[in-house]
This record gives sequence, structure tokens and C-alpha cells, in this order.
Amino acid sequence: MPGAPIPPEIARLERPREELLTWYFFKALATLLAFPVTMLVFYFRYHTMRYKFDEEGIHMSWGILMRHEIMLNYSRIQDIQLHSNVIERWLGLMRIEVQTAAGASDSEMTLEGLPNPEAMRDFLYSRMRGAHTAAPAAANAAPEPLQAVLLEVASELRSIREILEARKA
Amino acid sequence: MIRWLQKKILHLMKVPAEPQPPDGSAGSARVFRSGRNYYRWRLALWFSANLGVLILLAAVSFALARPIKAGPPWSRYIAEALMASLATAFPVSVFFTFLQQRMNYELRWYVVTDRCLRVRSGILNVHEITTTFANIQEVRLSAGPLQKLLGLADVEVHSAGGGAGKGSSDSHAARFEGVDNAPEIRDFILVRLRQYRDSGLGEKDHSRPSAFSEGSLAAAQLVLTEARTLRAALARR
Repeated sequence: MPGAPIPPEIARLERPREELLTWYFFKALATLLAFPVTMLVFYFRYHTMRYKFDEEGIHMSWGILMRHEIMLNYSRIQDIQLHSNVIERWLGLMRIEVQTAAGASDSEMTLEGLPNPEAMRDFLYSRMRGAHTAAPAAANAAPEPLQAVLLEVASELRSIREILEARKA
Repeated sequence: MIRWLQKKILHLMKVPAEPQPPDGSAGSARVFRSGRNYYRWRLALWFSANLGVLILLAAVSFALARPIKAGPPWSRYIAEALMASLATAFPVSVFFTFLQQRMNYELRWYVVTDRCLRVRSGILNVHEITTTFANIQEVRLSAGPLQKLLGLADVEVHSAGGGAGKGSSDSHAARFEGVDNAPEIRDFILVRLRQYRDSGLGEKDHSRPSAFSEGSLAAAQLVLTEARTLRAALARR
């Protein structure tokens, strides 16, 4: 449900797990000769990576020279993907790729190094559009009590106007 | 024996357990699987690939046999060592790639519930995609001539996520690969899709009146009491 409080263990999340740096090390090793450069980039990426999950959406930021900040609304999530290769799983990691309808060719946001990726996926799913109801029933029906109260307000205002008009006359 | 080995491998590679349908829709979940012919099709590919490698190896060793015999003795030792290691490595690779095909077939789940779908595949690289029907843009069915012959087809379900991701042709699609009941799956999905008439691009969920009635109702009631007291005050004067 939108606006519902965030589970505390998710609201508390800010930094990725330490194992992420280990994974980055292997990832940088795969670039062979470029290792010193890529490792340096990954090192700063890891140390500047910050997450924030609030009631509206996800904030994520990283980088010093190239600063990145992404803010993404839960209700705009199109699909959630979970990726992991063997090394990542050995380290207890999984990547969660969150897609929105923005045109970028990569996934809009890749959540790396989160402590409990599957629980995070379930949390994101629960905030997604269309996760709570099988179908949008009664699309335009305004809720009855609100309508009744507003009608009553209108009639009160009308009688106030009538009183004022009567006094003027 | 093979079962046991597979179990060990899955454990060693920490492959997560079978995917569960997401919360709130467990009762309506239906799990589709790839068709039996899909497995046969993959085995045929596996077989022809390995046959190709075998023929290539035989051709190379045949072509090199004479120059090595004529060459110095150390080149013969190297060639013999190479042959011996290939002779052991090849059967091992054949066996493990066979296991891979088998597990790739067994580790595919296409879960459809009343409001979402979840597709999982892969052993080394595990890939899982979850999306709700509210976000689905199109459903595609495709089958090549060979697939048709085997009674297979791929069903692709696309969300609005725009791009083709790294590596795979389209990472925004949930692919029901090699299913033998594609029309059934398509209809199953289309029936659920029909319930959504919006564009699937992030409009408010109309289906949750409580989301905006709670706060605004209280506010409206406040306005009402204010209006009432104002009228009462005016009438008293």
C-alpha cells in the first residue's frame, strides 16, 4: 500500500554489504590489464554507495568524480529482475535490477550488495502497481462517505450564503 | 546417480530453491514448464555441437600426425601429453554439458498468478523477472520452423521497460521459452490483461479508494463542522 510505513529493516538500509567489494575485486580481475583502473573505480563506487528507502521510492547515489544520484518511485516500477552468478551467490549477493518505463537501454537502477535480496524483491513487489488487486474494479466510483460529506458542506455553504443575502436585502 | 550429482551441483552453486509466487496471490498461481520436446531439442543441439568438436579434433590430430613424427622427439612428447589431456577432458566436458542441458531444462519456471508473473531460468547465471499485469504492454508468440515441427513456441511478455539490456536480446521481456502449450498460455495471460484498461504507465491504482478517502474524508468532515458553526454564528446575530 502506498504511504504505509516502511519495514524498519529496510528503512535502516544505507550501505551495501562488505562482500560487494569482494565481488568488485573479481569483476575488476576479469578486465585483466585494466585491473588497477577498474578496481579504483569500483573501490570508490563501493565506498560512496548510499541507499535510502522511504515511503515514496528509492534513492541511490554513488561516485565522487562522476556523481550519480537516482530517485525512483515505487509505483513506476515496471519489472523487478533478480540476477546472480555463481561467484555472487557464493558471496551471498544478488543484483536487483529495477526497471521503469524510462528509455534507457540499461536497467534504471541496479541494487547491489543488499543483505536480503529476496526480501527486498518482495518488498518492492508489494509496492508495485497492480500487486494488490487482481483488477481495478469500479474505476471511477468516488467513495460514498466522502461524497456525502462534501454534499453536506455544499448545502451548509448555500444556507450561509442565503443568510447573508437575506441580511443585505 | 545423476539426481544425486545434480543435487550436489545445485548445492555447490547455491542455486536458490524453486521460485514461489509472490505474496497475496498464492491460491491463483499456475506454474508452466517448458515442453518435453524442448529438452530433446536442446539435447540435439548439445549432441551436434560435441560431434563438431570431435570431428575437428580428429581432423587436427590427423593433419598434424605426420609433421610431428618427422619432427624432433620433444615435439612428440608434447603432442602425446596434449592428446592424453584432451582425451580425458573431452568426455568430462561432454558429461558436464549434458548435465547442464538437463538442469537448464529442469530449472525453468514460468509462474502466472491472477495479478503478476514470475519467470526464472538459469543455473550458473540465475535470472528471475517479476512483473504485474498492470505493467504489461504486449504479448508475443514466436516459433521457428524447427520449433514448429517439435510443437514448441516462445511466449514473450513485455513490460514498458524500454531497452535491450546487456548481453541478452531483450532483458525486459519475461520469456516462456520452449513451451508446448503457447496458445493456452497466451490466452491465460490475455484474460488477465483485459482487466486493465489504462496504459500501464504508472497511473494511480484506481482500485484503492481507501488510499485517498482516509485523509480527505477527515478533512472534509472538518470543513463541514466549520461551515456548520459559521452558519450557526451567522444565524444567531
